[in-house]
Amino acid sequence: MPAYYARDTWVVIAAFNEAWAIGNVIGGLTSEGYRVIVVDDGSADDTAVVAADHGAIVIKHPFNLGQGAAMQTGLEAALLNGAEFIVTFDADGQHRASDVPQLVTALVKHRAHFALGSRFLDLPAVNLPPLRRVLLLLAAVFTRITSGLKVTDAHNGLRAMTRKGALCIRLRQNRMAHASEILNQIANCGLRYVEVPVTIEYNQYSMAKGQKSRDLLMILLDLFARRLHQ
Amino acid sequence: MIAQFVLTAMLAGIVLYAWAQYRQSPIVGLLASGAALIGIYFVWIPSHASELAALAGIGRGADLVLYVWVVISLLVILNLHLKLTSQLELITVLARRVAIDQALAVDLPNNRARDGRSSDKSGRDIRRRV
Repeated sequence: MPAYYARDTWVVIAAFNEAWAIGNVIGGLTSEGYRVIVVDDGSADDTAVVAADHGAIVIKHPFNLGQGAAMQTGLEAALLNGAEFIVTFDADGQHRASDVPQLVTALVKHRAHFALGSRFLDLPAVNLPPLRRVLLLLAAVFTRITSGLKVTDAHNGLRAMTRKGALCIRLRQNRMAHASEILNQIANCGLRYVEVPVTIEYNQYSMAKGQKSRDLLMILLDLFARRLHQ
Repeated sequence: MIAQFVLTAMLAGIVLYAWAQYRQSPIVGLLASGAALIGIYFVWIPSHASELAALAGIGRGADLVLYVWVVISLLVILNLHLKLTSQLELITVLARRVAIDQALAVDLPNNRARDGRSSDKSGRDIRRRV
């Protein structure tokens, strides 16, 4: 990726009690020249200290609000800094920094507002449990029906967006349902998007920290409740 | 007769509550007011309640009124849940503002800008003061 893109690319990481993993995650990104914003979502451990020590900008929520809320905080902070490209990245080490250039390049190449990472295109999802694969595919079908977006992976936290794309996003879902909310807002705003194959590497730590299969029910309830309320 | 007036007053209160909530939660407002109006109708014409109850296999008309009341209660609880969600949204916005403002105000050495690029687009650069 040209150095110009790296300089204008901000990576937003929402983190909650990720002191164990976040140092390596930030190190992999800063070594490529990206600016990293970590939103510490009220962690009880040293997430903020570790993130700051590894060169990230740290914004600390006064208490735990949820991943969606932290993501919105990170987006606003990146926009305040004049970011041209913003990448959302998980804190638990399941994403690869080497996928970021493909995402940002896809934005430029396809003149898209969003480049959505997908673990179901060309590249394999490493150690993806079968049940989760089924649930993720069902989520993609649900998203296709509700938003009209033809995505293959509706709940991938690795995505890139342009400044214009980020300005259209206003996350109101504080918890896990924000991933579906982003897709709905992409559809509602008529933004252009492209899917890019990325590798998601599941390990013991990320499996313990990440979404559980039962979270799917809460996501559906949150999305339903949002539709009832103005 | 006394019970009919008391129930009517309570159900009328629900209708007013649902009407007041309509702007915030149109679906809940409509359902709650509809259920309350049906309840008032059955309170004053219990024979219809009995006929409908028999048709639905519930048993007595009084049971049907009770079920309508339960439905109303659940809708009010749902509305409270939505209100709490709305309050949480406001708290989130406030907490976000506090977090970003603190990042702007507190000058931690580890978070100072490393590349020296100043903000020329937004006029603010939290990299310098996080």
